Amino acid sequence: MSGKRPTEVISPRLERVVGVVLRAGVIASSVCLAVGLVLSLATEGGAVAAWLLNIGILVLLATPVARVVVSTVEYINERDWRFAALTGIVLLELIASAMAALVFNRKL
Amino acid sequence: MPALSVTLALIIFAAGTIAGSLGALLGLGGGVFLVPFLNLVMGFPFTVAAAISLTTVIATSSTVSAGRAGKQLINMRLGMLLEVATAAGSFLGGVTAQFVSQSVLQRLFGIVAVVVALIMLSRLRRRNVILDPNADPGLLGGRYHEEESGCTVTYRVKRLPLAVGASFIAGNVSSLLGIGGGIIKVPVLNAWCGIPLRAAAATSAFMIGVTATAGAIIYYGRGQLEPALAGVACLGVQLGSWGGMKFGAAASSKWLKILMAGVLFIVSAMMFMRGGR
Repeated sequence: MSGKRPTEVISPRLERVVGVVLRAGVIASSVCLAVGLVLSLATEGGAVAAWLLNIGILVLLATPVARVVVSTVEYINERDWRFAALTGIVLLELIASAMAALVFNRKL
Repeated sequence: MPALSVTLALIIFAAGTIAGSLGALLGLGGGVFLVPFLNLVMGFPFTVAAAISLTTVIATSSTVSAGRAGKQLINMRLGMLLEVATAAGSFLGGVTAQFVSQSVLQRLFGIVAVVVALIMLSRLRRRNVILDPNADPGLLGGRYHEEESGCTVTYRVKRLPLAVGASFIAGNVSSLLGIGGGIIKVPVLNAWCGIPLRAAAATSAFMIGVTATAGAIIYYGRGQLEPALAGVACLGVQLGSWGGMKFGAAASSKWLKILMAGVLFIVSAMMFMRGGR
């Protein structure tokens, strides 16, 4: 920690970046899901529809992960090591979930 | 898993819309209504219902937080600190859900629904904690501008271990049962940790995206997250919560809370009846 502790608790840049990531993720996943749904109802479950639906769900799941990644990077840029470490731990926990998912997937 | 037909899509879309708007009106996620509908009425396995609901939680969290980012209402530092606890709880919950039977999950949901209803009834009159605007918010506190009163609200975080503990439990319940968990965190943050209600709600809504993701990834890996069903539900919930927020001010939230608490008591009884078999 540097000597001058920030009096302002809010980091406007971080808030802006997080807002952009979340919005982009929501729009991208909603478009994939909506198009995938229309296609899957119209074509009775084509391969493209299934692919779009899966991409939509994966983008949805990836959005909060991306938000944690950009927060970690931003805290490192600000040399706020405490919060860089905390967001890094959250990222590890999300990776642990993905690992558990892979384990369950292979087993069954 | 049922194949997606137009009828099924419309039913789930409508259920999502209703759950989402109720959630926005009541200040909680719609999952507590969506899960019992999908499980008890539609007959989906509990884990499938929970997985669908978790994806709607993620969608709501991202949408709501994207709109709020930059308005200083979300306490990002506190949120990211507490996410360490919610994500850990959620990871454990997601793994646990794979090893317990449906009837255990149903009975657990029955208990949580009663707790949620009681919390809702006990908080008919909301209260905000407002400190001196010039006070030092500390490392984790926050400061935001309240539009209605025109005041700047400053607050410090008290009893951090309690907030961390509540977040862990909320994360655990979230991925076990497919709800957001805000109903557990927000009252604790507001009543005991010194955080004004709106900041607590905004911070919780921000956190539940990461919380639900830690659980939803596990359901996805296990093949319990059906993309088509989850997609319809997500679009419905997003429409509903948008509508709920836009027209919510006109509704009387007191009577709605009493009504929905009644619904939750019935949901709880039904979950116990199913789970007891």
